[in-house]
Amino acid sequence: MPETAPAGGEVVPMSSGHGQPLAPRLSICWSRGNSLRVSLFSLASFEDEAGGEVVEVKLCDGGDGEISNAQWRTIAYDSVSPFAMLQNRRNSMSSFSNINPSPYHLECWEYMMDYSKDINVLLGNKKSSVDSLIEDPDIFLKKTEEPTCLKAAWELMEMFYVNKLSQAWLPERIVDWLADYDRLFAALHGTVHMKVMNFQNVHNDIEVYEDDLRYWDVIESALAVGWLEIAVKMLRRHGSYQLDQLSNRETENGLVEAVALLISKMPRMRSELEPGRLGECYKAKPDFIKAWDKWRGQITKLDSCAFWIQCHHGQTREGLKKLLQILLGNTNSLLAATTNWLELCVSHLIYIRPFTVGLESMYNLAQNCIQLKPMSSPHKLMNIIIGILGENTEVVLAECSKEFGPWMVAHAIELLTVGSNEAESLLHEERYNLGEISLEELHRLAYAQVLSSHALTWQIAPVYLSSCMKHGMGLLEILLYKQPVQLKELLLKNLEICRLYDLDDCSSNIMKMAGVYHWKHGRKGSGIYWLQQARDEFRLNKIAQQLFASVGKSISDESFKQWEGLIGLLDSESNAAGGFEFLHKYRDFKRSLQQIGDGKNDIAAQKAIDSLMLLMRNTSTPQRFWLPLLNDSLKLLNWQHRPLLSVSNTNLLLNKLQELSSARLHPGFVKPDLPAEALNSVRLALATNLGRAILEE
Amino acid sequence: MAVRPLSRPVEIYKHPLHKYVDAVRWLPPISALDRHAVLALFDSDCGSSSVEIHSFLNPKTDASSTSAMLTALTTWNPPSRVSSLKTTLIGHRPFIAVSTADGSVYLVSAHDAHTLVEIGAVHEVHACPVSCIDLLEGGSECVSVGEDGKVNLVSFGSSTVTNTLFFDSNGLVSYSAAKWASPNEFATGGLDFGLQWWDRRKPGSPVSQFKCNWAQGRASGIIHSIDIHPSRKHTCLAGGSLGTIFAWDLRWQHEPIIFSESRIGVGSKHSVSESEVWEVQCVCDGRSTSTSNFSSSSRMLPIMMCSEDGILAVLEQGMNLLVISDSQMSSSRNVFHFWFYIFFRKLMAVFAFPIYSCKRTENTSSVNSQFRPKVCSCLQ
Repeated sequence: MPETAPAGGEVVPMSSGHGQPLAPRLSICWSRGNSLRVSLFSLASFEDEAGGEVVEVKLCDGGDGEISNAQWRTIAYDSVSPFAMLQNRRNSMSSFSNINPSPYHLECWEYMMDYSKDINVLLGNKKSSVDSLIEDPDIFLKKTEEPTCLKAAWELMEMFYVNKLSQAWLPERIVDWLADYDRLFAALHGTVHMKVMNFQNVHNDIEVYEDDLRYWDVIESALAVGWLEIAVKMLRRHGSYQLDQLSNRETENGLVEAVALLISKMPRMRSELEPGRLGECYKAKPDFIKAWDKWRGQITKLDSCAFWIQCHHGQTREGLKKLLQILLGNTNSLLAATTNWLELCVSHLIYIRPFTVGLESMYNLAQNCIQLKPMSSPHKLMNIIIGILGENTEVVLAECSKEFGPWMVAHAIELLTVGSNEAESLLHEERYNLGEISLEELHRLAYAQVLSSHALTWQIAPVYLSSCMKHGMGLLEILLYKQPVQLKELLLKNLEICRLYDLDDCSSNIMKMAGVYHWKHGRKGSGIYWLQQARDEFRLNKIAQQLFASVGKSISDESFKQWEGLIGLLDSESNAAGGFEFLHKYRDFKRSLQQIGDGKNDIAAQKAIDSLMLLMRNTSTPQRFWLPLLNDSLKLLNWQHRPLLSVSNTNLLLNKLQELSSARLHPGFVKPDLPAEALNSVRLALATNLGRAILEE
Repeated sequence: MAVRPLSRPVEIYKHPLHKYVDAVRWLPPISALDRHAVLALFDSDCGSSSVEIHSFLNPKTDASSTSAMLTALTTWNPPSRVSSLKTTLIGHRPFIAVSTADGSVYLVSAHDAHTLVEIGAVHEVHACPVSCIDLLEGGSECVSVGEDGKVNLVSFGSSTVTNTLFFDSNGLVSYSAAKWASPNEFATGGLDFGLQWWDRRKPGSPVSQFKCNWAQGRASGIIHSIDIHPSRKHTCLAGGSLGTIFAWDLRWQHEPIIFSESRIGVGSKHSVSESEVWEVQCVCDGRSTSTSNFSSSSRMLPIMMCSEDGILAVLEQGMNLLVISDSQMSSSRNVFHFWFYIFFRKLMAVFAFPIYSCKRTENTSSVNSQFRPKVCSCLQ
């Protein structure tokens, strides 16, 4: 009995327990589910000791830490529908685009966007579902569900590859993205999110905010990465707002409010701004430039105004001045306020280069920021960002595969090819070293293999296999053949998949396997049913041939029932076997023979004789059964009460007997398994009957 | 097939369980307020199966509809995978009959929702997995059938469980569904859409048989589920392969009443589904306004069905009343409306683990309907 090793670890240390080095013979095979069975065999020299050990090693059950296996399965199931929908639309599009190529692209964007959004939704909800109506003044960052890197990566790709309509607003979209996912980087490096959270946890202990350096520091950082709402909300916690202070610190309060106002009036180039978000939204570039220049002018004006001298609180003056520098895009202030290169990059996009378009300039910016804020161990999302900005599809693909596994690659490839001929040729080009398949197909096949290997997901693998032009259908057939036929539900599912993909041959082979399996296990009814469904003439004939073997034998009541039942089952298919007409009639004959019983029932005997004549007259009755049939009916031929056969019938039977005698001389004659004197006794009986019949007539 | 939309929206609750759901039933209510379900689960990772009682919390009628919860209360582990599960109430106590893949039948009692106690078992009365069991309503007898062609009657005494082999076809006929009609009669179904009617007072052979000798062009299949309405014991409702649902009236034995069928060449035009119909049930809730139209016995009562390709529907004879798919999810505050009531109760089990089917089709509009979770059982 194998014991289960503690789960979770990928490396399980094993000791032989003998104090000796491990035996050199080791066998590893897959066990049930996600477990490996490791068998250790002792060296031959230790024969006196126990023979070895079997350990089951359960491979990491918790998925990749962020997402459990069960959640991965849910994602896998949910993504089937968007994926198949996309493939279908593509297929219908590509046939359509041959005629009219121009509208293809526009609709293609829409399809891709639908697909990407569907997948994004199933990766989890970004926004917290409960929004309390009354805002808590003590909470700067709303508690939301912990985001996943998977979703972050997906949104990143959606943003850069698919959502072409909002390319002009890309910088703002990156700002939003960072706001949602900044906390993911907390594990490796400090983040602005962490700073804000830390402050939020301690701020109740702080009596005078403006005296605390952390207060100004957090506002700077939040402002630098564009979290205007947090910055303004925190500014309004400034001591000068308190009613008892207001009269003494009028100028100071005026300055704080002026900065807060400027922050909340910041022009932003984006399609829309959700309610509650600060800033002024401009959709078109000219309007934005105008507003931007005006806004910068206001900041400069405030920066150089005389009120600063009247502000007596030194820390407030310093803090506000720093905030203004951030708003003005002072490189050093931004560098000081941010914690990693990505945040720095975002701050540059907000305050220095809001018009950045094109991946190349963004890539240069990112490279500069990395130089300014280098990082010892880059985060997986950052690697993807650099890959995307560097327009390096292969890097993006490799990172996706390394960090997020086959699901991500198989689904993200769709995004990568949008609108990029280069990426498309890279992913769709058939490669010799991959066995003449494209990268796209390779990754889909890999994902399908992963799905196939689990009992709960194998049935969605066909969707992906069927989208692989070269090897998909072949692998699908192998997958279907591999499924056990013992379980009825599984068998029916298997057959349904065959039906959906028009795999008629595969389907009939599986039915044959099921038929043979049931037949071998004594479930003759099921066996024949499946063989009939598979239209397996060969095996049905084989079974029929077995039935012929009992012709002419005396069989017990029980096996006669079985035999009769089998004929009934095989009979239901009219075209099953040509010899079935004979078997059918033979069954009737045999049945009436059994009904005669003690030999006094004239009517039953007459019926039996009629069946016999039917059989003997019929051309389909094989010659080899003539004698056994007559031998069976000896009792009828020697019927005591009266001769049952008429003269003409007796003559016919005698002729058949004669024919049989001459056939004996042929080389191919099969000698019936009957006593040697059978022929003579039949002849004698017939002759006697003929005499009696002539007398009777 | 005509689809008539519901006058009121239906709420659907999904409860992914991450294990195979082999069977599911409602536990007869222990108290008026409780709502419990019995689930038979199979964990394919470690090969263990379990029978669990889950409490199903009614969603708050005023909140958003996603608040319905399934919580496991207690577990009982059968030694083999569960193939069929039925519940009944004997003397105010809920009992669960469980059949397993190794051919055994177990009786388990639920003292309350938190304890499951095995009362007794008959081991390996079938030579293969038990296809189906049915508990006599309120009685202490259970019919079990298998592909090995055995029909067993398992009776539950106060402390013992005994088995009587009622019929044995020696594998010539395989049975896949069974349902009591009265304390003495029951129906079974199997291959070739065959139905058998049995009377325990007349052992040895079925009292009456229905065999698929339908006109050419109708494909053959397996019966997966039978239901008999308590007030119409002469009619046997059956569902099986290829979306086939028909009723067999013992008074007009040669003319099945077709609800849904697939015809070769015609496809699913007359069929609510093309796939395996796993369960059919007569709608017998008297509160429905529409059932009153069917009070005359000439017409069939509406029926519920669920299928492998994820369709959950209520059908009338000749017309499709309603097909539910994911897209029709919406919220309703009218929790106790009849239609909601049945689907509300059914669906929690239905989506316990999604199993999808798919179809390659050029028609984009129909794609969505091809990817629905399997409905493994419908409950009423």
